[in-house]
Amino acid sequence: MIRNPTREALVAYVLIAPFVAVYALIFIYPMAQLFYLSFTDAPLIGSGDFVGVEHYGSLPSDRRFNTAIWNTAYFVALTVIPGTIVALVISLGVSRLSGRLQSLVLALFFLPYILPVSVVYRLWDWTLNFQFGIAMHVFDMIGIDRVPIFKVTGWFMPAVAFVTIWWTAGFSILLFLAGLRAIPKEIYEAASLDNAGRWRTFRKVTWPLLWPVTSLVLTIQLILQLKIFDQVYLFSDGGRPNDNLVMVYYIFQRAFERDQGGHAAAAAVVLFLIVIVVSVLNFQLMRLSGSRNR
Amino acid sequence: MLKQSTFAKMLLAAALMTTSAQAEETVVWWDFLAGGDGVRMKQMISDFNAAHEGKITIDATTLEWGVPFYSKVQTSAAVDEAPDVMTYHASRIPLAVKQGILQEITAGDWEKMGLSEADYADATWNAVTIDGKQYAVPLDTHPIVLYYNKDVLGEAGLLTEDGTPKGMDSREGFTATLQALKDAGSVKFPLGSVTADGNFMFRTIYSLMGQQDGELMTDGEFLAGDNKKKLENALAVLAEWTNDGLQSTYTDYPATVALFTTGDAAMMVNGVWEVPTMVDLHKDGKLFEWGAVELPVIFDHPATYADSHVFAIPANKSKEMTAEKRDAVLEVMSWISQNSLFWATAGHIPAYGPVTASDEYKAMEPNATYSSLTENMIFDPKSPLAGVAGPIFDVMSTYFVPTLNGEMEPAEAVEEIEYELNDMQ
Repeated sequence: MIRNPTREALVAYVLIAPFVAVYALIFIYPMAQLFYLSFTDAPLIGSGDFVGVEHYGSLPSDRRFNTAIWNTAYFVALTVIPGTIVALVISLGVSRLSGRLQSLVLALFFLPYILPVSVVYRLWDWTLNFQFGIAMHVFDMIGIDRVPIFKVTGWFMPAVAFVTIWWTAGFSILLFLAGLRAIPKEIYEAASLDNAGRWRTFRKVTWPLLWPVTSLVLTIQLILQLKIFDQVYLFSDGGRPNDNLVMVYYIFQRAFERDQGGHAAAAAVVLFLIVIVVSVLNFQLMRLSGSRNR
Repeated sequence: MLKQSTFAKMLLAAALMTTSAQAEETVVWWDFLAGGDGVRMKQMISDFNAAHEGKITIDATTLEWGVPFYSKVQTSAAVDEAPDVMTYHASRIPLAVKQGILQEITAGDWEKMGLSEADYADATWNAVTIDGKQYAVPLDTHPIVLYYNKDVLGEAGLLTEDGTPKGMDSREGFTATLQALKDAGSVKFPLGSVTADGNFMFRTIYSLMGQQDGELMTDGEFLAGDNKKKLENALAVLAEWTNDGLQSTYTDYPATVALFTTGDAAMMVNGVWEVPTMVDLHKDGKLFEWGAVELPVIFDHPATYADSHVFAIPANKSKEMTAEKRDAVLEVMSWISQNSLFWATAGHIPAYGPVTASDEYKAMEPNATYSSLTENMIFDPKSPLAGVAGPIFDVMSTYFVPTLNGEMEPAEAVEEIEYELNDMQ
């Protein structure tokens, strides 16, 4: 059969057209609007006058925008790599189990992941509440002073990061397990024949062969945690919201509380650019270290 | 001939029926009343529907309180899908007027409703007025009050002859009462305070500022002149109570109510909307003898922060309301206001004067005791930044929480608050 490139291309276009149309309508078009909005002083609803780069100019000197940037970076530092390590360690443990026990343990670790964020918030609020939290009674029993975890700035981000890792590790564990299963048994047999110890086997076999999955997990985590909002918003309720600001929270405040659509759009554009730059950097870094590993 | 006239009569009857069917107006209603007061409002709505059968029906929906409600109102008005009438907070009116989403309540409207300025407390009327125009019909005011455990205070000899706490007239007096409760040692905390929730504490702290004639906003500037000092004074009182172990620390809203109702805290400053909680618990025999009074006078004169639930008519962007519909909406607001005695069982103080002046209301306790504070109410500053779940609340909360729990000095907090509030303008 003779292939007809024109015809094939046509079929391809027809097949992707619905996706492209929807994508353009609900992603590209709103994004173009967002960029435009960021140059106006529009409220949340309706249009505004063109103000050029005024919003962008005012962002660096806005103390709460700086709070948001630093807290976001801090949160990413607290969750992305630590969360990945936790998931990797757990998955290495789980992979040593077999049969039903493995399924059961895996299910237990995966369970938190299916909870909605509101439930996660309630669970941990009840656990760590200063007056009535279960953990506080444990503190009392062993004679430590109670700590108002979510009400003091020093504890807030680490605590939210901890809760986030507890909540989302299940998904990363699943990815790691799939990656571990894909490593052929023969390689481990060969390694043990060569008398390689556990650490050496991990460093020279498991780690490099698992690298594609590790970099995938890291990238997913990075993008997800840059967009952190829900947990921070819920745990800040009534506490010290402005000290706990993260990027998306800042955008939310400006758009929905202060009715400044234009300003919020400018902050959203900045976040968008940060996500792109960081993701590309991350990707390049992964590629470099990946090729060195091999 | 006869046949014809019968036919004509039938036609006429049919025509009459259709007009009466058309004349039945459905008023779409949105509110954010999801708690105990929501249950009471549903009762009032069904009473209204029963009293207006065949004429007006309220089709009510309850939405999520706070930012979600206000965002939805704004977006729905932009696409002509706003309800016909909705509940609102008086404190949120300045922002709503700036956004152009509220219809003015004109002099003609007030006349049609049979309500007037004279029916409301000055502060309440003022709270719905922007630049001399009214934008809402006040339903109630919901201030904060001091709840107290009569059993505990009585045992410690801290009740006056009329059964109210001693030391309500000065800072020294009230602190002495708290100290005496601490010394008696029968409770964990003399005062249950929502110290983990700065949003909530705004109500108390703003009241204490008001007791010194302090204002948050003057001529568009926050904390100008000695208002700064007055805020600091207010914070200092509460910080002192924390340092002396007189109030609960890092306690959030539900925990505060729990501390009080379980008897771990002898007193509590909270909104009047918790009255039904106490009434119901007491009725089931699960609560001690209790009372609620106007806040103590810590500074120069009584003053209590209040907000007001109001009715407002949303302004759709390009869809005009028919005259018939508007009349129906006015009837809804008027009828509910004039029948708001039942609303008082939710703790709120009805805004409509003749209701609170009635003998039935005066027989309601503790409502009648604390309703005297209507004279001393202060409302939020008129700024688009003000109001429940608004930006001012966020700034205040951020600095109140550390100050009220001994992490930050009041003077430092005030400096930061001043900077950040003015920075928002």
